[in-house]
Amino acid sequence: MSLLVTFVIIVVVMTAILGINSYLILLERKTAAWIQDRVGPNRVGFDLGLPFLKRLTGGFHFWGLGQPIADGLKFLFKEQVVPAHVDKVLYFVAPCVAVITALLSFAVVPFGPTPTSANPDVFPFVIAPNIDIGIVFVFAVSSLAVYAIILGGWASNNKYSMIGALRSSAQIISYEIPLGLSILVVAMMTGSLNLEKIVARQAEDGFFGWNIWFQPLAWLIFFTAALAETNRLPFDLPECEQELVGGFHTEYSAIKFVMFFLGEYTHMITVSYLTAILFFGGWHFPFIAEGDSTYPGATAVKILVLAGKAALFIFFIMVLRWSLPRFRYDQLMRLAWIVLIPLGLLNLVFAMFVRHWELSRWWLLPISVVLFVAAGLIGTLVSTQEKRVIGHAHQA
Amino acid sequence: MDSDLPLLYPIVLYLVLILAFVAGTLLISHWIAPRRPHPVKDMPYESGMDPVGDARRHFDVKFYLVAILFLVFDVELLFLYPWAVSAYADSPEGNPLRGGILQDAVFVTMLVFLTTVALAYIYALRKGVFRWR
Repeated sequence: MSLLVTFVIIVVVMTAILGINSYLILLERKTAAWIQDRVGPNRVGFDLGLPFLKRLTGGFHFWGLGQPIADGLKFLFKEQVVPAHVDKVLYFVAPCVAVITALLSFAVVPFGPTPTSANPDVFPFVIAPNIDIGIVFVFAVSSLAVYAIILGGWASNNKYSMIGALRSSAQIISYEIPLGLSILVVAMMTGSLNLEKIVARQAEDGFFGWNIWFQPLAWLIFFTAALAETNRLPFDLPECEQELVGGFHTEYSAIKFVMFFLGEYTHMITVSYLTAILFFGGWHFPFIAEGDSTYPGATAVKILVLAGKAALFIFFIMVLRWSLPRFRYDQLMRLAWIVLIPLGLLNLVFAMFVRHWELSRWWLLPISVVLFVAAGLIGTLVSTQEKRVIGHAHQA
Repeated sequence: MDSDLPLLYPIVLYLVLILAFVAGTLLISHWIAPRRPHPVKDMPYESGMDPVGDARRHFDVKFYLVAILFLVFDVELLFLYPWAVSAYADSPEGNPLRGGILQDAVFVTMLVFLTTVALAYIYALRKGVFRWR
């Protein structure tokens, strides 16, 4: 592929990600308003509140669609307050790391159909095609995001930032292990870490070839861990407003603050795409986007199907944010170390047995369900027992 | 042996463009944003109170323990990746690891490895490393 084509793809992807990011913030606010029975932002139209533009648009509000543009311009024009006691260099580097790692991890994620050994003439809709380490690259780069948070919290020289950064680093590294364990099973099923091959494999087998049918437990672990990695509620301990003001970004303002948010939302997009690709068949959808559908516009439909699946997960993450209360810190660490890691390991061992004895893949579905129910039962038993012990201690 | 390096150039190009974007945004904001320093703006924000002491103090030893355990389990995870990818892959020329004595050998080795990991996990659990109180 020529350098020019690559360049065009990169520019299109970057513009799309940045544009989608700003509108995701509007969507988030609208979702919050919808769940809390409010109206949400609906005042700022494309006149951005400026008198000379108001004459052009006739004062129509466009349902608040101008809000992201107005916000972006406002952040650009705001003063960048740099407090006196910060470590200047690290304070400046941290938000840059947040944006760079978040954007870079999208490099190997396919957002449409890609060439396979069956049809090698397809145009590759991915920035860097045919990278065999695929998913490992995504994890390697996106786990560097922990440096953004640690450096930001350390450089700020603020107690809230420091506590937020410490909590966040421990949280992110803890949830990295279940994340990796859930991916291992997918890699074992496909025999490749290449995201394009993982999609192609699922598309070959049709609707009942999607990994979700064989690995619902791995999906659950993956999604939970990914939520914790993106610092989204119910795992947003690093920036919980009620305790830590803003957490690690308390001291950040204007464009540097935006960069942290850009990083978080880009991470959310990547996670949603990965969920769709690893477990929900990527661009494949029964009847309308099969591997051999060649009707005119099939490529566009495939891109839209994948984007639609990703959008569903983004919306799900947003609804979760406004539905679930935040974890307590010890509960958060327990979930990672005592629940998710053993579950992930057991799941891996069972998948290994199924593969070794050449059993049908469908064995993995009941195994997942049994493991999940058993974990739930044991968890309930242990926690009621603990409550009893604590209750006795109070009485004595 | 052909190298995979030429495949990586889009990533390098992408990285360069991202760096340009980040630098550009920061520069534009640097040029057009106002700068009005003030002693109160220069203070660390602590909900309106005057800050007491430095923020960089001792913190809980639990965080070190988590970091050490992460190192152990993450390296173990990295060892598992090559095995998970290659052990049960179907390749057109036939996977030498599939079928025969080698498959059983790899299987038993992995079981021993995973048992060791599980023992390490149980040891840490019994030592109360995962208890945050």
